[in-house]
Amino acid sequence: MILIPEVISILILNTLFFIFATIAFFLSIKIAIHWDFNKSTKEQYRLEKESFLVSTIIKYIFILKISLFLFFIFTLDKISDLITGAMCASGVITATSYGVYLLAIKLFNIYIFGLWLSISYLDTKREDLPYTKIKFELFIVAYLFFIIELILMWLMFSSIDIDKIVSCCGTLFSSSAQSPIGDIIRIEPTILLTIFYITSLLLFIFYKHRIKYLFAVTNILFIIISIITLISFFGTYIYELPTHHCPFCFLQKDYYYIGYLIYTLLFIGSFNGLNSGVMEVLGEDASNSYRYSLIFNTLYIVLVTLYPISYYIKNGVWL
Amino acid sequence: MKKIKINLYLLEFSINALLRAKAKNISILVIFTLLVALLSSIFFISNSIRYELESAVDSLPEIIVQKVKGGREYDIEIDRVDSIIAINGVKSAIARVWGYYYFANAGVNFSIIGINQYGEQYKSNLERITNRIDFDALEANSSMLVGVGVRDIMKQNYYNNYFNFIKPDGKLKKMILAGVFKDDTILESNDIILMSQKDAREILGLSSSMATDIVVKVANPKELSTIAEKIRFIYPDTRVVTKDDLKISYKNIFDYKSGLFLALFTISLFIFFIIVYDKSSGLNSEEKREIGVLRAVGWSIDDILKEKFYEASIISIISYLLGVVVALFYVYILNAPLLRYIFEGYSKLKTPFELPFTFILDISTLAIIFFLSVPIYIGATIIPAWRASSLDVDEVIR
Repeated sequence: MILIPEVISILILNTLFFIFATIAFFLSIKIAIHWDFNKSTKEQYRLEKESFLVSTIIKYIFILKISLFLFFIFTLDKISDLITGAMCASGVITATSYGVYLLAIKLFNIYIFGLWLSISYLDTKREDLPYTKIKFELFIVAYLFFIIELILMWLMFSSIDIDKIVSCCGTLFSSSAQSPIGDIIRIEPTILLTIFYITSLLLFIFYKHRIKYLFAVTNILFIIISIITLISFFGTYIYELPTHHCPFCFLQKDYYYIGYLIYTLLFIGSFNGLNSGVMEVLGEDASNSYRYSLIFNTLYIVLVTLYPISYYIKNGVWL
Repeated sequence: MKKIKINLYLLEFSINALLRAKAKNISILVIFTLLVALLSSIFFISNSIRYELESAVDSLPEIIVQKVKGGREYDIEIDRVDSIIAINGVKSAIARVWGYYYFANAGVNFSIIGINQYGEQYKSNLERITNRIDFDALEANSSMLVGVGVRDIMKQNYYNNYFNFIKPDGKLKKMILAGVFKDDTILESNDIILMSQKDAREILGLSSSMATDIVVKVANPKELSTIAEKIRFIYPDTRVVTKDDLKISYKNIFDYKSGLFLALFTISLFIFFIIVYDKSSGLNSEEKREIGVLRAVGWSIDDILKEKFYEASIISIISYLLGVVVALFYVYILNAPLLRYIFEGYSKLKTPFELPFTFILDISTLAIIFFLSVPIYIGATIIPAWRASSLDVDEVIR
């Protein structure tokens, strides 16, 4: 168990989230079962009031979750000083068997909570509250994921052993690694880059012709290929080192914390892309998130493309 | 996320609403500010002391070699220096003679350091002292130099000009007090007694072929771990401590201390949560009527919740900023009276902390303090605010 102040404050806040989310969970069950907009009973009236409480709680958790997630990554980076062998967050994440799943589910939950909020926003905008039942059913599912996240986080922090030697990102993300990551790095970068830029081009085409479903689906593809190319190609130009593929090190001070900007752009872009798809399914207008998605994805593409280009201009060769 | 926009009119309304209930809000503000100040002070103190220690570690030799017998430290043979210095990459290896002397009358430990006038010194401040003072001359008339803290303790026990050390064989060794030295880092020099190596050996009961430990300097810091490994290989009975080991263990100690404090602090946070919850639940008739009127003129529950959220944010952010400023003042200008004892330890000869705390302000600490204050306050107001906003309009206005 690591008892450093950062970890304790993360745990304290998550306990608070747990209490609130549980209240919201029970209210959600009640609302999901008994909600009927056409009734004018006392109970329906009460449920309506309670739905405000639930959405306030979720809003509160979501906003804090995003900033706490950044702080979580920052904390992992800090813990890496204490653990033998770890040089950045990736060493800490792989130090226990829970880390990778925890990171994945944390991200997943942020997307889910974000989608929930955007459905809820639509819901309260309309007079007949059409999505109330759906959104509370969605929250019941989201709550379960949230609980899994909390349990994983507890397990991870309590099973980190400071004295155990862990792998550094240099070995985890190397082309000789016998893992899916190693396989990805061994793929010729030109193939991956072609896929990356074709996907980007598709985003523009679908945006121009307003094919919204495909736009959302392409966004999912885009986030996957973005992360793959970030590991296999763009990362090496950020480090200016052909052998270093770690997607965590550029979150550190030595690279001006550029990773936080990179991932934020990617998150906002892809979230809005997915959101526009969901809105399309619900038959709502989503031109705003549609536009934001394209803007932030474009910013991301420009940012990562600038690294190799400026490297080439400075040195006259590719890595 | 387009709906998270700040509505300036609503903000103005919230500020006015806060001012209307001045007495209540000011008391919350004061308590909250004090809590934040307490929390931040602890972090500032621990960060500063840690920084101080880390820079002290920086001036230390890279590797310390101790002999271990049966799990306990033991005297080490001086001739081991020769084989250590033969390892490639080692700049110098020096056998140190030092130890603690327990002075039972005052219940304190002195650190005795034996100095070899013509040998190389392992620390630059010792180098400076040997340049000024001839320890051979000190040895000739059995005298010593002491730190300020040691001098004071001796004076309290009526040893004004000399001190009688009790040697391991029970005989007395009289040492004349030749002078007091004051170093720039009081953290290191307060409990120290300097004397010639021969006198130190006599008091510590160390034979002339033995030393307390061996310090090794390494020219290239990247070779540190390899050289440490080699020493361990040549002398399996030694404990080899590198500078990095020390740094990590210092870090752990201070993270542990502030972590422990934080764990205890959770209780006060919890109590505070309940106080805020309670305070914001108790609405007087004035406030109830206000909400009723707002609902009647067409505000939705969501609008009122938003207004309450603004109120909570204003109070908590102001308290956060004030608290941090108060803590900065308390720690760096007043030098943290009372609280510093948590970190200081209780030995009488431990540093009297005259050091001005080095000004350290890192984002991580500010973020921790933020996360432990603002969200908790806002969280405590959610349910009371919702209760208030969902009151029945007709009941309230009637």
